[in-house]
Amino acid sequence: MANRFTQALLIALALPAIAVPLACLLYLLMRGLPGFDSNLFSLNLGESGFGSSQGIMAQVIGSLALSILSCLLALPLAIGLSLYSRLYAGPRSNSVMQHVLTTFQSIPPLVYGLCGLVVFVHLLGWGISLAAGAIVLAMIILPVLTLNTIHALERVPSDYTDAARALGMSPSRVVWHVWRPRAWRSLLTGLFLAVARTLSETAPILFTATVFSGASWPNSLFAPVTSLQTHIFYLAQEAVDENAVARAWSSALVLVTLVAMFSLIAHLLNRRRSHHG
Amino acid sequence: MLLRSWITFSVIFSLALVLIFVGFLVSASLPFFLDYGLSPIVSSEWYPYEDLYGFLPALVGSAWAIVIALAIALPCGLAAAIVSVEILPQRYHGLINLCIDILAGIPSVVYGLLGIALLLPWLKNNLDLLSGHSLLAAGLLLAVMILPTITRLSQDALRDVDNSYREAASSLGLDWSQRLFSVLLPQAWPGIRSASLLATGRGLGETIAVMLVVGSIDRIPEPWYNLLAPAQTITSRIGREMGEASVGSSQWSALMACGLVLTLCVMLLSILAHAPRKRLARG
Repeated sequence: MANRFTQALLIALALPAIAVPLACLLYLLMRGLPGFDSNLFSLNLGESGFGSSQGIMAQVIGSLALSILSCLLALPLAIGLSLYSRLYAGPRSNSVMQHVLTTFQSIPPLVYGLCGLVVFVHLLGWGISLAAGAIVLAMIILPVLTLNTIHALERVPSDYTDAARALGMSPSRVVWHVWRPRAWRSLLTGLFLAVARTLSETAPILFTATVFSGASWPNSLFAPVTSLQTHIFYLAQEAVDENAVARAWSSALVLVTLVAMFSLIAHLLNRRRSHHG
Repeated sequence: MLLRSWITFSVIFSLALVLIFVGFLVSASLPFFLDYGLSPIVSSEWYPYEDLYGFLPALVGSAWAIVIALAIALPCGLAAAIVSVEILPQRYHGLINLCIDILAGIPSVVYGLLGIALLLPWLKNNLDLLSGHSLLAAGLLLAVMILPTITRLSQDALRDVDNSYREAASSLGLDWSQRLFSVLLPQAWPGIRSASLLATGRGLGETIAVMLVVGSIDRIPEPWYNLLAPAQTITSRIGREMGEASVGSSQWSALMACGLVLTLCVMLLSILAHAPRKRLARG
């Protein structure tokens, strides 16, 4: 009897964890879908309405450019760091590295944004730009990506490594011929998750990379861009303008779809790996 | 050779990034602490135009928001973890994980939008508020946002409990809830503890969603438990004012100092969460 009661109570407590995400998703679809018209994905910067009537293609491109650029910046460093950890670092420096990475992973993205604002936007004089935003996002994603990559390399069976080393293979040959074939899938999974994660960040690019209007196509690394995230942020505060609110919901739906797409790719890659595992 | 230089480059470059980051934090906020000392941390007036920078309203606001969030998300997330690991059969695990993934995948700004569209009107109508912007709204939104962290990490903690404990508990004749409360939860406790600490850190640093619903008014709740009035958190203050502050002004360095305080709090939580845990002796 007591067991049944405890279980029922726990299930009741756990219900929001299932109901809330489904409700959020449904509501998002309900509010976002009506806004999908032919105009939505145009690059046309409408004459009227300050963002409420124009298409959001520029924002989509800006968001994707920021997050893909940042991941491409962070990936080589993450691989380099994780190879250092697996090839050269002793147990002591490995544990130091682990601590530094987890600590930096916990620092709020907003603070990275402040750092980017001070260092790249003002100190180096890049202004509010794609480059500044991408580097800030790269700094945010670097600890996560590195930890993921180290984890991926750790999952290569140590027998393989030992055998390869015993055969006299140099470290670079071990990396290329033994680790790469076993680990590339996890590495890609980590990369796609990183893209999804950077797509969801708003605070750090608010002051470093984006402007509300006037930017359409990032024609230079040092030009400001617009992004879906900040577009939603600005439109959300225009509660009086119904068009603006409708645009905000459509943009939110597009953003969530993009994030879901990258997460799904990561998930599929991960699943294939564990099947062949 | 190529490999070696690449690795060396990555390590040096990353160290440089760490140094830049730490250097920035200290050098940008140091002027503020040199000018004003440490007293702003406990003073309650924040009026940039009169050069008054008291951190207390934002600190209290952040603390309240995260307390509300934990009070809701901790029982709910823990229950979800227990239900998914200990009650439901294997084939439903995918569904729960999917829901948690959805929750974790929704960007912060979309939560803000949902908060404005659903939460604020609801609070406004039911509690008879002026606009609904309040610490309670921020806390509720944060609760949803930290729920995935708590659930996932608690699930891991429960899964890490060795099966021999479950078997031993059953063979001792403990029933389901005795097994849960006197064997599994104590064993998983270190993991659950660090889950809550990490979720706290995550919630303290959450910016955009909180900014959109908290109201951004620098006031300590009056009386102290009044959660229904607009207030301010550290992150919402930085987010609101950073765009307006002019470079190098005292407001600028005050905001940087807020960033430093926030970073130190979150770092401390992370260190506590990852501190080597005392494991109960393994069988």
